Amino acid sequence: MEWWLIMKIVEYIDFLKRNMKGLVRVLIVYLIVLVAFDVTLSRHDAHYFVDKIYAFWTLFGIVGCFLLIKVAKGIAHLFLAQNEDFYG
Amino acid sequence: MDSWIHPAIFFFIGALILPFFSGKAKKIFLLLVPALSIIDVALMTEGVFGGYHFLNADIIFGRVDKLSLVFAWVFTIMAFLGAIYALHVDEDGHHIAGSFYVGGSLGAIFAGDYLTLFIFWEMMAFSSVFLVWYRKEKKSIDAGYRYLLVHVFGGLLFFTGMMLYYYKTGNLLFEHILPVDAGVAEYLILAGFALNAAVIPLHAWLPDAYPEATVAGAVLMCAFTTKTAVYVLARGFSGFEILAIMGTAMTVYGVFYAVIENDMRRVLAYHIISQVGYMVAGVGIGTEMALNGACAHAFAHILYKALLFMGAGSVLYMVGTAKLSRLGGLYKYMPLTMIFYVVGAISISGFPLFSGFVSKSMIVASAHEQGRIWLMLLMNLAGIGTFLSVGLKVTYFAFFGKDSGLKPKEPPKNMLWAMGLTSALCFIIGVYPGALYVLLPFPVEYHPYNLHHLSEMLQILSFTGLVFFLLVKKLAPEDKMNLDMDIFYRAGAWVFMKIDEKVISVVDAHWGEVYRTVGLSLLFKNARVANGFDKKVIDGIVDGSAMTVRSVGSLVRKLQTGRIQAYIGLALIMFFLIVWIFLKKV
Repeated sequence: MEWWLIMKIVEYIDFLKRNMKGLVRVLIVYLIVLVAFDVTLSRHDAHYFVDKIYAFWTLFGIVGCFLLIKVAKGIAHLFLAQNEDFYG
Repeated sequence: MDSWIHPAIFFFIGALILPFFSGKAKKIFLLLVPALSIIDVALMTEGVFGGYHFLNADIIFGRVDKLSLVFAWVFTIMAFLGAIYALHVDEDGHHIAGSFYVGGSLGAIFAGDYLTLFIFWEMMAFSSVFLVWYRKEKKSIDAGYRYLLVHVFGGLLFFTGMMLYYYKTGNLLFEHILPVDAGVAEYLILAGFALNAAVIPLHAWLPDAYPEATVAGAVLMCAFTTKTAVYVLARGFSGFEILAIMGTAMTVYGVFYAVIENDMRRVLAYHIISQVGYMVAGVGIGTEMALNGACAHAFAHILYKALLFMGAGSVLYMVGTAKLSRLGGLYKYMPLTMIFYVVGAISISGFPLFSGFVSKSMIVASAHEQGRIWLMLLMNLAGIGTFLSVGLKVTYFAFFGKDSGLKPKEPPKNMLWAMGLTSALCFIIGVYPGALYVLLPFPVEYHPYNLHHLSEMLQILSFTGLVFFLLVKKLAPEDKMNLDMDIFYRAGAWVFMKIDEKVISVVDAHWGEVYRTVGLSLLFKNARVANGFDKKVIDGIVDGSAMTVRSVGSLVRKLQTGRIQAYIGLALIMFFLIVWIFLKKV
């Protein structure tokens, strides 16, 4: 019984992989809804002061993630990454 | 000592009588030990137990209060889950090392004085190293020695601080220290604790050793060493500004390395630094809410980090490698492992309904409450990196991504059960945070499920996901190792060996030569001169003294055997002689 359920999950993942375009569309709609939801939130009882800015965390997520990848990979390629037998 | 039983006792006795069991009885026994300890903790009442007076110091084995209890709860629960995960391991030594390790950490959190704490502290280091060595590969054995040496160094910092503290205050009681009172002694103790908490730059032992440990050993190690350190920091050093800053630096430092690492377990190991960073920062901020957050996060973190290590360990156990560059497409063959890993990954990332959401946010919110905006923003940046590396990168490149052609099976049933139970706990804490909050040291007024927090986390996580899929090619894992602080002692050791080979041994050889030719011949000449002087001048008066000098000379020569055992033996005899003379005088 439980094995059947698990195989269903695997089948579902395969289904999503075959329909990548549809999945991407759904996710884009989800992102738009998310930003719209944040804009509708009241600003005066904000959790953090930055919550007074519309969709601050969207911007933070995009910029932060982009910077992390670029900086980390950049520094790694600059000097951090060595061959695996570096220490012998 | 009335009704209190130290939960570590179960593990110590269990370790000693484990070899007498075999087959099914052994498996039941392995589960019985942590189960009994959980019951013991459940029945515990607050108070101070097991106090002795020893060597002019008060020794307290059992300080039971809310702070030690919350850690005792999660440690015993984790010991149970770890025991399930390790049931398939045949080596008794592995289980015994694990038991002493868990027992040591329980001893440390209940210790009420520095001496007791120190003993259990060292027990943890010396038993956990076997969990690395039992992997039985050259890399693990080397990493184990480095792990041990670094921890011995940390232990010495702690010990020196402890001695100075005793000199200063006249007692060894382990109480909260105010930042204004802290001097050299307190900061040495703090440094010893910080080393175990993997505070940068004393952290390199962690990503060095954990990925080389055994599959089941790493699951235990990721839970106990750093969290015991968080406990002692919270107990002794809350409110220290340096911890708030270093903790926040750790959160970002850890994810930075996690983004570029290739080995699944090394990514997770760097993530421990990041996650422990939140706790250390919480301790440093030091308000009631921040300390609550640190404890809650330690509780949640132990469970989901163990779950992640279980998942990565399952991949390593079934495939033979945990290198992301060689994995891919495993979801078809290890779907359960994948699901459990994903539960761990979304828990650590702080998805709503999972445990990270209700614990991490407490620390972040307390930073904001104290007006520490930069700390709060950097912690959220680390949150992005957490989801990016553990949630997206590892999941994508191990379980999805390109098909690696590997067709592994699911791991043994006991490992699946352990992962399933841990996943359930992560979910329960996320849905019903009250169950965790009631255990915390201070009353909780924080409500994680509010619309702003929900919107904040979902935006951060979702848009991190977006950027990940736009830049996924940039993140492709590479067969590389990344330099870290351990270069200073690893390269340092290499330099030392070279100096030893090229300089010290040469100087030593020459010095020996000089000593033989100059020293001994001088002695002989001396003897001869004295002899001649004797014979010619005071012959007959002090007859024999020249002979004595000569015989001393030859005795000294005889002692120069070049055998190290002889020198040590001689040194010991000298030592006892000095002690005897000294004591006689007194």
